[in-house]
Amino acid sequence: MSAAPIEARALGKSYGISPVLRDVTFNVEAGQSVAIVGANGAGKSTLIRLLAGLAAPSAGAALLFGEPSRALAPALRRRLGLLSHQSMLYPNLTARENLEFFATLYEVENPEAAAREWLERVALGAAAGTRVRGFSRGTEQRLALARALIGRPDVLMLDEPFAALDAEGAAMTAALIREAMARGCAVLASAHSANTLADIGFAVHVLSRGRLVPAEYPGSPQGMVRPAAVRQVS
Amino acid sequence: MNGRAIRIGLGVLVLALMLAALYMVFVVVPTEADQGIVQRIFYFHVPCAWVAFASFALVAVAGIFYLWLGDQVWDDMGYAAAEVGTIFCGLVLITGSIWAKPIWGAWWTWDSRLTTTLILFLLYCGYLMLRSMAGDSEQGARFGAVVGIVAAIDVPIVIVSVRLWRTIHPAVLVTRQGGHGLEDPRMVATLLVALAAFTALFIWILCLRFVTLRMRTRLRTLAGSLAMAELADQP
Amino acid sequence: MIAAFTAVVRKDLMLEARGGQSTTALVALSLLVLVVLVFAFDPGGGEQGRAAAAGALWVALVFSGMLGATRAIAAEHENGCIRALLLSPLDRAALYAAKLGAAFIFMALAEAAAIVLMVLFFNLQFDVRTMRLVPAVMLGALGFAALATLLAGISSRVRGGDLILPLLAVPMFVPALIAGVKASAMALGGAPLAELATWIKVLVAFDVMFVAAGYLLFEYVALEE
Repeated sequence: MSAAPIEARALGKSYGISPVLRDVTFNVEAGQSVAIVGANGAGKSTLIRLLAGLAAPSAGAALLFGEPSRALAPALRRRLGLLSHQSMLYPNLTARENLEFFATLYEVENPEAAAREWLERVALGAAAGTRVRGFSRGTEQRLALARALIGRPDVLMLDEPFAALDAEGAAMTAALIREAMARGCAVLASAHSANTLADIGFAVHVLSRGRLVPAEYPGSPQGMVRPAAVRQVS
Repeated sequence: MNGRAIRIGLGVLVLALMLAALYMVFVVVPTEADQGIVQRIFYFHVPCAWVAFASFALVAVAGIFYLWLGDQVWDDMGYAAAEVGTIFCGLVLITGSIWAKPIWGAWWTWDSRLTTTLILFLLYCGYLMLRSMAGDSEQGARFGAVVGIVAAIDVPIVIVSVRLWRTIHPAVLVTRQGGHGLEDPRMVATLLVALAAFTALFIWILCLRFVTLRMRTRLRTLAGSLAMAELADQP
Repeated sequence: MIAAFTAVVRKDLMLEARGGQSTTALVALSLLVLVVLVFAFDPGGGEQGRAAAAGALWVALVFSGMLGATRAIAAEHENGCIRALLLSPLDRAALYAAKLGAAFIFMALAEAAAIVLMVLFFNLQFDVRTMRLVPAVMLGALGFAALATLLAGISSRVRGGDLILPLLAVPMFVPALIAGVKASAMALGGAPLAELATWIKVLVAFDVMFVAAGYLLFEYVALEE
């Protein structure tokens, strides 16, 4: 049995003496999707950073494809796509140039063609030649999603993907996420509210002050989690 | 308890060697013909320089092991060596200055050895400033290791280039004729005793500092575990 | 990985051409440094004037190099692009090589401009002696770029880091500085390249060591957090 694409094993993180995450354990299989829901400061972004290998755990392990995410081999890094708060796009390059650049880094077959295709997919074909500096937040996020997906990742992590989007952008994002799941991608997303994600089939885990808590726990946000979509943390 | 006994024993050894060195410098060794009484500072100046350079090498080696093995103990050793080395390096510059004034009439001379030591001192200070600004983090330890290694690679080139640049330092151990500047065997003996005394002093202070840093590391680890445990207990 | 390396260098050059202003800033800073030093030394002609010119050129190199390195790495931190580079399959050493390559190109352009300005300000001639400066200056620029790219990776992540970069870079650069100034002064005095050999060798040794060190150590610097 091969290792799960995303696995958190008793994961803990503290900055100095301030603890942020404690004993978080779950995994995401290929084709599965998991949403981490919690209030501000619950540790959602930290959890994603640990799993993406951007920070080192204080305790436990953050594993991608069975390997510690912090020391991932280039071949495995190629299979990871991340959408985070920062757009990670070059403001002075155009949309097309940004996508072509990242497509080249991710060893995509024909970077120019892939860039064109993904620009169409996120409805930015008309803005292909515009510099990212002039983009609105929502437009930038759509482009960032294209950047995350252009390498056809097997693991997709999204930090609050619906935060800055309008209805059209949200629908587009949901469609692209569903398509990635259908392709066998393991998807992990974080959000304040579980509604949008639960609607597209995500399993919901609730993070409260650094720990995964059972969803019916009194402290979890009221009315935000649909009991049918919730799975108990084992 | 055993460690403490070693530290005290080492301290006693240092005291004994230092007393021996002081005796030899002020009583035994003859006054040098050219430079007079001031020349005696040489017996402190040279050992301090040896310690400063040796400590520097230690920082680099500790850095290599830290990057390779990841164990915090190597960083604690490197940091302790940097702190102690900086002090001895400063002493070299001060004693060099005190020596230079009566001999050459100037507080500072840009001769090759003093210049190299000044560069070394600046590198040390840069390391310490980096560590203090980066804080008590794994990142600080990693950056310190990198800087320590790069600086150690730099030092040989500094020595070569500065020597090509100029030199008026008194020929001490090797002259172009191949002899050494110390004619009297008592001078050689005094230098050796002083070297032993300062090396022992260096090792002693290094151990004390290293132990303190180890305790600090252990404290941090415990505080982190405690914080995590508290997080678990909260409702 | 060659494709990725080329892509990063190309990206940096594109960004620069798009109003990156780095080269402009480097040339401007070199100009200002040279002006200040002319007033500071009030050099006459002859050997003293040439020595002052050589020194001024290298002061300009060091200061503009530090500015260039700081800006280059700051550009990557904007929007968190450095994170994207580290997450990608791009080899860390290749990233260092690409950053070094771009930094060197900018410094080389700025130094070419600085040489022209130096000839003008210090009343020298554009002749074969000026040409003989070029190897030393280019080697110095490469060495400084190698050093600064590595150190800027550190200073950009440390609070108060803008002090760390000069504090570490200047003492480390001293061997190349000594060799470079000597070689430049001798070249301006009409010495043939053969006589500069010792100093050129020091510069080459410096460059080799620091490019190698940066290549090997950059991955320890480039980790997030």
